[in-house]
Amino acid sequence: MVFLRLTTPALAAKAPSQIQKSAALFIMKCAKCHTIGAGDRVGPDLRGAADRHEREWLVKFIMSPGVFLASDPAAQKLLEKYNGVRMEETHLARADVEGILEYLKAASAGGLSSQAPLAVEEEPMRLKVRMPEEGFSVFWPGLAFLFLLLAAAAALWQFRGHRPAIALLFVCAALAYWTFGGRRYYHLLGNQQGYEPVQPIAFSHARHAGSLGIACLYCHYAAERSDVAAVPAVNVCMNCHGAVRKAFSAKTPSPEIAKLLAVWEKHEASIPWVRVHQLPDYVHFTHRIHVNNNIQCQECHGPVETMERVRQASALSMGWCIACHRLKTGDAPSHWKRASGPLDCAACHW
Amino acid sequence: MHEPPQDPFNAGDSLTRRDFLKLLSTSFAALSLVGCKLRPPKEKIIPFLQQPEESVPGLASWYASTCSGCPAACGVLAKSRDGRPIKLEGNPDHPLSRGGLCARGQATVLDLYDSQRLRTPWQGASPISWAQADAAIIAKLKKSDAIRIVSRTVSSPSLLAALEKFKQRFPAARHIVYEPLSSSAIVEAHHRTHGQAVLPHYHFDRARVIVSFDADFLGTWISPVEFIKDWSANRRLDKERGLMSWHAQFEPRLSLTGTNADLRRPLKPSQEFATLAALGRMVARRVGWQGPLPPEEGAPGVAESLLEHTAGMLTDAKRRSLVVSGSQDPDAQMLVNWINVLLDNYGSTLDIERPSRQNRSDDAAMDQLIEEMKRGQVSALLCLDANPAYDHPRAADFVRAMGRVQLSIALADRKDETAALCGFLCPLSHSLESWGDAEPVPGVLSLQQPLLSPIFESRSALETLLRWSGQSVSAYDFVKEHWRQNVFSRRKGKQGFTSFWDEALRRGAVTVAAAALPAGRFVPDALSRLKPARRPAKSGDFELVPYASTALGDGRQANNPWLQELPDPMSRVSWGNYASFSPGDAQRLGLEEGRVVRLSVPGRQAELPVHIQTGQAEGVVAAALGYGRKNAGPIAANHPMVKMLPLERDLLGGADLYAWLKTQTVSVTVTPGRSPLAKVQIYDSLTDPLMGQKRPFVRETTLQEYVQDPRSGNPEVPEEKGLWPRHEYKGHKWGMAVDLNSCMGCGACVVGCQAENNVPVVGKAEVRKSRDMAWIRIDRYYEDDRTSFQPILCQHCDNAPCETVCPVLASVHSTEGLSMQVYNRCVGTRYCSNNCPYKVRRFNWFDYAHQDLVQNMALNPDVTVRSRGVMEKCSFCVQRIYSAKFQAKQEGRQLKDGDVIPACAQSCPADALVFGDLNDPNSRVSRLARDSRSYRVLAELGVGPSIFYRTKVRNRRV
Repeated sequence: MVFLRLTTPALAAKAPSQIQKSAALFIMKCAKCHTIGAGDRVGPDLRGAADRHEREWLVKFIMSPGVFLASDPAAQKLLEKYNGVRMEETHLARADVEGILEYLKAASAGGLSSQAPLAVEEEPMRLKVRMPEEGFSVFWPGLAFLFLLLAAAAALWQFRGHRPAIALLFVCAALAYWTFGGRRYYHLLGNQQGYEPVQPIAFSHARHAGSLGIACLYCHYAAERSDVAAVPAVNVCMNCHGAVRKAFSAKTPSPEIAKLLAVWEKHEASIPWVRVHQLPDYVHFTHRIHVNNNIQCQECHGPVETMERVRQASALSMGWCIACHRLKTGDAPSHWKRASGPLDCAACHW
Repeated sequence: MHEPPQDPFNAGDSLTRRDFLKLLSTSFAALSLVGCKLRPPKEKIIPFLQQPEESVPGLASWYASTCSGCPAACGVLAKSRDGRPIKLEGNPDHPLSRGGLCARGQATVLDLYDSQRLRTPWQGASPISWAQADAAIIAKLKKSDAIRIVSRTVSSPSLLAALEKFKQRFPAARHIVYEPLSSSAIVEAHHRTHGQAVLPHYHFDRARVIVSFDADFLGTWISPVEFIKDWSANRRLDKERGLMSWHAQFEPRLSLTGTNADLRRPLKPSQEFATLAALGRMVARRVGWQGPLPPEEGAPGVAESLLEHTAGMLTDAKRRSLVVSGSQDPDAQMLVNWINVLLDNYGSTLDIERPSRQNRSDDAAMDQLIEEMKRGQVSALLCLDANPAYDHPRAADFVRAMGRVQLSIALADRKDETAALCGFLCPLSHSLESWGDAEPVPGVLSLQQPLLSPIFESRSALETLLRWSGQSVSAYDFVKEHWRQNVFSRRKGKQGFTSFWDEALRRGAVTVAAAALPAGRFVPDALSRLKPARRPAKSGDFELVPYASTALGDGRQANNPWLQELPDPMSRVSWGNYASFSPGDAQRLGLEEGRVVRLSVPGRQAELPVHIQTGQAEGVVAAALGYGRKNAGPIAANHPMVKMLPLERDLLGGADLYAWLKTQTVSVTVTPGRSPLAKVQIYDSLTDPLMGQKRPFVRETTLQEYVQDPRSGNPEVPEEKGLWPRHEYKGHKWGMAVDLNSCMGCGACVVGCQAENNVPVVGKAEVRKSRDMAWIRIDRYYEDDRTSFQPILCQHCDNAPCETVCPVLASVHSTEGLSMQVYNRCVGTRYCSNNCPYKVRRFNWFDYAHQDLVQNMALNPDVTVRSRGVMEKCSFCVQRIYSAKFQAKQEGRQLKDGDVIPACAQSCPADALVFGDLNDPNSRVSRLARDSRSYRVLAELGVGPSIFYRTKVRNRRV
């Protein structure tokens, strides 16, 4: 079952899987601080960086920034230029680093935007996860049998008393339930797909992740280290909004930003965001293992960078999880590091 | 007597079964109709305003600190999830506790979330602010001409320094230390024999022969975790370590230490002096002692041949032996000192040059204080985390004398028995909320750091004393400054202060140089004047032995539900106090378990239910200290855990034995009352009482046989062929090895598991119905005069009988050999529990005890809180397995041996449990599983358990 389509139009022709994988790695590991052609962020714009520096120098830098920054004078100069913010450990293998450099070259040359190497189409609302279809319909035979039983129940009521008749009516009810497919909709109990609550501040992902192109992991940095992706603390908002406010100090901020500034200036209570994605307490989902497998945020959360208000794009039901965990190598998207997740109950239920 | 709890399904005018079925069918219909609209409750996510730098949401951080459960001051690592400490584990870097932590220490994290803690300062009956309290107290202290500070042992050098500052500001102040479980007699004896009032630092690891007279050093005596580590190092039977040590124990009641001894004999307290004297004479004869001899006072309570043998063993292991005693009689302790001098043990197995500071009780000073108070000579009394109105033998005198003190101040965490009498109540912060340090032994220092700011309006003792002394520094600055001036200069390396401090904070403990006290020379003159303090009882009366129980210790944590429900290792009784009698005495008096007896001396009596204890000396009645707290809270008063049951006040379980500490003999009256004990194990023997055949769950041999034949006591047993095809494990196959030789039954694993896995506490009434929930239990068996312990947890069978009978596939097998329990599938048929040969599955009869919202903060968010009607059991800490796997994958490496340590194995102070991958031939667990001592319990059934036990080897020489 393919439930989402991944497309990389510009690069699909040549070595699609390798370049896709590297593009995904770039988003996960680098795009928090770097762009390709969209100007300096926390770190330098990497357009043409693969040609500016020696390959070995770059590989060493990326593989172990901590050690490299301590020893290399050129790297130290860069560190000074970019406000002394040290690059964090990437935990990347050599092959992955070289792949990223290839991707950098291709993206710099082809003018490929660093923001959307993967376009994800949101799956249609609901009913995406179905029980397998029956081999043949039980509807008509079931209905006929049901009428037969109802007739029998009526006869019992007439001649044998109420008790056996009521018992038979129970059987009828169960049969009707089966025949008309009630069990097919069990998975819809508690299904929240499409849930789109109003938030205390009308924060727009379309603006921040979409048009401004801020990488998901800049704010949701916990996702690659922790079980939860975490709503960022207010100080993360103020990293940028503090600077924005200074630059536009004359202007009155928009009412929504004014709310944020009020929370920050008061410094008492934080923002009570409404939770959108919610799993039952007996399920333990872990972001870090999925993020580190190069699975793109959009593959589960939908095209968040187009959403004005965040909506639950997927069913988040067990069938939906298992559908991916069952994918074998070859069927799984090529940018994933590994296909086939564990199928043990205890992988999630503990 | 308590009322029988009501059956909630048959209560009065509630639903009949028929109504219930009707309602059920209607609600099903309603559910199908509205099914598509059902939404989970709306939840909020409220992030930090300013994320603390080192904290990542959802990720645990660990901080090194110091345990505050008792003055032994073990090192701990505290786990913090999103700003909440939720678990304590031993700190492997601490030189004394070396990664171990006892049950009481682990349970201190729950004390932090005790809703009975004081929330604000009080003056009399009205709450006040700290500013008001400080102003009022300082003004009154200034006018006082005799200030007395009463505390328990203070192992913190910073707090001692703060006390000095306090004394400088108020020169009328004097500091008095007492400890409920006093070691004053040992200090007094050393004062008399060596001229040094010190408590020796014992080194059980250096002793090849250990003889203990009623010193429960593996359970509650001075520094149990340190002693377990030391003692078990010589019991592990590793080839390279050579032979095991030999341990003899003579004691009136069966203690945890006694159960682990190679030779154990019951001994009445009144016979201890004579036995020590006899042993001393035998040793003296062997080593050719020329000095004076102690008088012969009565006959020793142990057969002479045994004593001769013991004396021989001791003399053969000269300088590598140790004699200890838990006696409160300084004369008896002087005999112990003498024997250790004869054996030249000073400087080797006991150290008085760098003495222990883990128990500084000064009983004489406390007696003097009570006299002063009686005469009205004390104008201000400051009780610093001390509760003498409860845990002092002269508590009644103390309470009366309190009336004559003008200014009384309690620094306490709750309105305890002493605080209730005080004019001012100053709430004390928990150790996880405050800065501090400890120096349990000279040269070994550890830091205590807060993991959260105080939950309530409380302050640490250090901070409060500094404030009252007029110091305006914070506790953190004071501790740091104290270390800069007093500890830094003693460091062993050459680093600067900042790196020294940071390293100390990160590791939790440092070892620095410590000046040695002059070792006093033994003065033999006093020997001939010794006489025993305890006299035998009149015929018909009993000698009373009040003792500290393994679970509650001195009773300061009496309101801790984990500890109240932790069964005693020997009696297997949880919740409440009881009087233990030997089987012979019980037969003579016509007693049965649960019968209430009245202990009385002129002017005082107490009622307790009876427990019949194998191995106890005849003519002795033993009862635990630490119970009968009136002001500690509802748990200490034995209230039920389950809200729906009628309130059951079981006062019989609560007699306070501190008032009886100085009582030697009591008379016993049998009453008609009954109060069934909350016992978790009802069979004591490995022999089947019906069939009369031995069932070798515990296999054992002797060291002598083991040396001859490594497979002795461990015969091959043919296994039943299973009905089902065996599982194949391609990746990992998890398993555990349990060394019965190391396990000494302390119960640390039980509390560790409870904290990690949100195991509920069920209360006394439910335990009586065998509905206790512990995922790991330590079975105890008696065989002749031998006791064995066996930790039993889910065996994660390859062909698990529980899995095949589950009608809803809630109990299934994983590809890595785990027997999984899926809570959301379970419908509660309990077929699995009936089919489990090990009886390790636990059923949630109720939604247990999640009403206390403060206490719920201790729950582990990584583990599901199970609801009513669901079966649960040990999961091999599957959350830790997956967490370790994720970590390895993130770092791009393979999982290696030792990455996964379940909570039980982590918390074992004796390192008896080893967990790992059985498919990896080089892992520790698979090497242990192949060992000649390895066997599996009930393997003959063909269920293929994954837990490998190793035979118990006893060093029996007589």
